Amino acid sequence: MQQHRIKFSLLLTMILLLVLSSISIAQEERVLVIGHAEITESYDVAHAFNPTSGIVHRAAYDTLVSFPDTDASSIEPSLASSWTVSDDGLVYTFTLRDDVTFSNGDPLTADDVVFSFTRLSNVLSNPSFLADPIASIEAVDDLTVAITLTATRPSFLAEMVNSAFSIMNDSEVIAAGGTMAEDAAETDAARDFFDQNSAGTGPYILESWTPQEETVLVRNENYWGEDVPYFDRIIIVNISESATQKVALESGEIDIATDLAPDQVSTMQDNSDLAIYTTLDRWTHFLLMNRDPEIGGPVADPLVARAIRLALDYEGYTQLWEGSITPGSNMWVGIQGALSPAQIMVRDLDTARALLEEAGYPDGFEIELSYPDLTWNGVNLSTNAQKIQADLAEIGIVVSLRPGEVQVSLEEYRTGQQGFAYWFWGPDILDPVDFLSFLPGGKVAEERTNWFTDDVDPDILALIEQAGTETDPQIRQVVFEELQLWAQENGAYAPFNVPTIQTAVRSDIEGYIWHPSWTLDVTLLSRAE
Amino acid sequence: MSDNIATLKVNSSDRRDASFIETAGQILLKNPVVLIGIIVIVFWTIISILAPFISPANPLAQEVSTRLSAPGEEGYALGSDELGRDILTRVMYGGRITLPAALAVVLVDGVLGTIIGAIAGYAGGLTDEVMMRITELFMAFPTIILAMAITAALGPDIQNAVIALIVVRWPGYARLTRGLILDIKNEEYVEAARSLGAGHFYILRKTLLPNSIAPAVVYGTLDVGNAILVFAGLSFLGLGPEPSSPEWGRMVSIGIDFFEQWWMWLFPGLAIASVVMAFNFIGDGLRDILDPRTRKR
Amino acid sequence: MPIYRYIIRRLLFIIPLLLGITVVSFVIANAVPADPINANLPQNALNDEELVAAFRAKWGLDKSPFEQYLVYMGNLLQGDMGVSIKTNNPVVEDIRQFLPATMELATYSIVVGLIMGIGFGVISAIWRNSIIDYFVRFFALIGVSFPVFLLALIALTVFHGELGWAAGPGRLSILTRDPPGITGWFTIDALLTGQFETFQDAFSHLILPSIVLGSYVSGIIARITRSSLLEQLGSDYIRTARSKGLYETSIIFKHGLSNALIPVVTMIGLLYGNLLAGAVLTESIFNWPGIGRYAFRASTSQDFPAIMGVSMLIAFIYVMVNFLVDLLYFFLDPRIRAS
Repeated sequence: MQQHRIKFSLLLTMILLLVLSSISIAQEERVLVIGHAEITESYDVAHAFNPTSGIVHRAAYDTLVSFPDTDASSIEPSLASSWTVSDDGLVYTFTLRDDVTFSNGDPLTADDVVFSFTRLSNVLSNPSFLADPIASIEAVDDLTVAITLTATRPSFLAEMVNSAFSIMNDSEVIAAGGTMAEDAAETDAARDFFDQNSAGTGPYILESWTPQEETVLVRNENYWGEDVPYFDRIIIVNISESATQKVALESGEIDIATDLAPDQVSTMQDNSDLAIYTTLDRWTHFLLMNRDPEIGGPVADPLVARAIRLALDYEGYTQLWEGSITPGSNMWVGIQGALSPAQIMVRDLDTARALLEEAGYPDGFEIELSYPDLTWNGVNLSTNAQKIQADLAEIGIVVSLRPGEVQVSLEEYRTGQQGFAYWFWGPDILDPVDFLSFLPGGKVAEERTNWFTDDVDPDILALIEQAGTETDPQIRQVVFEELQLWAQENGAYAPFNVPTIQTAVRSDIEGYIWHPSWTLDVTLLSRAE
Repeated sequence: MSDNIATLKVNSSDRRDASFIETAGQILLKNPVVLIGIIVIVFWTIISILAPFISPANPLAQEVSTRLSAPGEEGYALGSDELGRDILTRVMYGGRITLPAALAVVLVDGVLGTIIGAIAGYAGGLTDEVMMRITELFMAFPTIILAMAITAALGPDIQNAVIALIVVRWPGYARLTRGLILDIKNEEYVEAARSLGAGHFYILRKTLLPNSIAPAVVYGTLDVGNAILVFAGLSFLGLGPEPSSPEWGRMVSIGIDFFEQWWMWLFPGLAIASVVMAFNFIGDGLRDILDPRTRKR
Repeated sequence: MPIYRYIIRRLLFIIPLLLGITVVSFVIANAVPADPINANLPQNALNDEELVAAFRAKWGLDKSPFEQYLVYMGNLLQGDMGVSIKTNNPVVEDIRQFLPATMELATYSIVVGLIMGIGFGVISAIWRNSIIDYFVRFFALIGVSFPVFLLALIALTVFHGELGWAAGPGRLSILTRDPPGITGWFTIDALLTGQFETFQDAFSHLILPSIVLGSYVSGIIARITRSSLLEQLGSDYIRTARSKGLYETSIIFKHGLSNALIPVVTMIGLLYGNLLAGAVLTESIFNWPGIGRYAFRASTSQDFPAIMGVSMLIAFIYVMVNFLVDLLYFFLDPRIRAS
């Protein structure tokens, strides 16, 4: 009996200890869980260029300059406390703050900036093209950086905000195998380091990343700034199905669901546990009509392109996607200088048919529409494609749909092989110059649409040149307006919808703001106590 | 003379004689589920054929202003989908795509697989081993993976999905038939036929094949349901028929993104389920009828 | 025949089969039409000829398909399956990361499927053609008749979302740490290291998906059990047993069922292989980080090392499981041993 009693009390003690220890293990940590369809393949600033990495980089890194929390209306100092521009507009000199340290304690110096930007350019990865306008960069002294451009570029400061220009700690990255040398594309070995670490100045550090499962950010204990964020730990969970994100949010397992469709959130409005944020997204959905007759066939003809623009039922798309608006051009509607709602295209079937006849297709024609088969930020491209099919059928154009896997379709699109295609575009730069990509000589025009400067009206070409370098805001406004209106008549594209992005959030989460540049700044979030 | 002997086996099993139809009738009465299954299939066949005449709308006609209407609203008997198309119409038209596609797969695979299996079983030896290894090779790759690869290569299209399934599912029939042929090829009546000088093809045609068709038919009826579900799975992965197609699997995979609008996935889902269940009942019943051993208790 | 001879005979046939699997996998992986160069190199890099050449050389794209195959086989024999173009990790690593999740789910699903299926089958056979039989068969069919992803979403929404009975998507609750990676099976690893709370969490997350997948296979198992049991019950030795006066239950379970289950055992191999890959649909809904989802992403992004690795792996597992099942069959069925 004595033995049994001893054993029994031992057991009891063990159980007690176990219980006590598990209580003490439970921390008072403030954790935020975000449900998000992860689409990044890396967290290396010089490689990743997508909304997922945007969120993470905004939290772990800083750039020289930034936008306000709510929009892209002005440029604000960030790591650079001030800057000057040379008279010829080619040299930007930034003065860095003297109180900034990286997450490992190293102080920020001009060398870090030089390293970061040069590496970005030399690794020849997805975002590297953003560094193309930079001719050279040098560290004038420990806290001063001078960047010389290849040509004047009024959008340059806005471009500097892009997370590709995040400043990383050069010594840490070099120690991990990174390099900014000319042959960095082959010799840089730091990519793996970045998948599990961050070397930035932001309020958070990247603790770990299990690809396709979760990304974990934790508070940077060495943060130099005064505005300390609320959450100690942020977990970004990969949930690829929006239907599953919805279930997880409603049951409280995640605090934020980033990839919901307008139709899904409309049924969540009455749920008092949730708050819905809807705002205009940064993507313009458009049709592309290849100017090469061999590839585009009938749509290579500008008259046909215009007919197609006139045949789309713009209002219908705004009914399909609640809250979406019709754009006037391929310039994102949130950029200062985009056409106003009064200037958008309106459906006109009669003129459309007349144009088709003039172009030599009185009975219409058949054509294939290529597009990537995916749902982007809640917009199912197949749905739009089907409506395009129905819209164009009304003027005699018989469209057969050709959805493709993203990568396959993307490859064709990028190399200009798609004759008639449906894609979406988000501005690389939140400045009107982004629109130049869609004009003769621009990136999308030349590489993807085979639309060259050859037969274009010289006046327009001059206008395009001016648009790229003009600094006077009034004149810019006029120039870009004219170009956009010209595109409505003669362009090779049919932008038809700018949808909304909807995020659903548990109602005790405060501070949620969607931003066109970095999507979500987690440092602004907190939970009501 | 040889004819009589050759057909001896076909008639020699327990009650499979001229009153086969009577027996079948009795079985049907004992197995009302088979009857239900047949009725369901006939129902869908009629609906599919008559769809263009009796459907309330055009399956492709969009009306964005009345999208996502619930059943009964705006004149939509079963509601409307995300582009304002009538669900009732699309469900009726869906059968025209889903049913023939699934039947095509099963018929082609059935014929192909049975022939291959029969040859393998009958020939035996090296031919058999080689053919069986090839069969196992195909069986080793799960349907979805091969189907994914084939449709990814050829493009997402109902025809390509059918091709993919045909390529992938014949081994089942081959194995089945081979097994059966092995069982009966050494029976006396076959020996007898051979000793009378009957050629291989004759033997195959008259004796072996007729006896192995029945199980293949049973397997086939069960396989139809499978094919339909694989189509649905491919649609879910984005590899099925073209987007505006009223194919049932397509409708369900779009519908789950509109879960709250239950009419979008429930009705095509029920259509699929009813057809799959019906074929299953028929298959079960057929097996009960055709297999003498399960008829006794 | 003695068991070792049986094993050797089977193995001899498996080897060419495995070789054939590598060839077919290779063909599958190369069936995709577009050039991976354009899909995987960013714009700036495409303009650099040296880089393009380097990429081609790295992935062996500059060689003929036959040469590529040989290179691949050479690497494979050293345990190297190449590096996934998408994740930049060795494919072997990716498989090690994702496969256990699917295997754990597939195994639990088979168990559920067996329990449900055999149960349904037995009931159906005993009360043959009665109301109970029809009801049970109908019920068993539900799992097989609706598209599995639809069932998965309904199950998740109703049992987790609305009723709160079942755990949510994923293998673990978000705030629960993964157990140490010993086998990769969370339930086993948690038990082995004494993390009972983690075990509970992992187990509760397995319940719903394995019931959904399990009911998917239970339909087939039920049918086979039913017909197989009926066959046995109608056969001579059962009649003999009955005439000897043995109890009915003893007849059914001890004699009839054990023989009836032989075909079921044969099916397990086939079903397991199908579950592994077919899980891609359920894995999407339940947010399960498994090999099915990995295979799908690979196939849509032309990640041919990954495609090849996964195809081969699943086929290989199928062959191995069948081999084990055949071995089991060997013990169960005296007729084979006698041959």
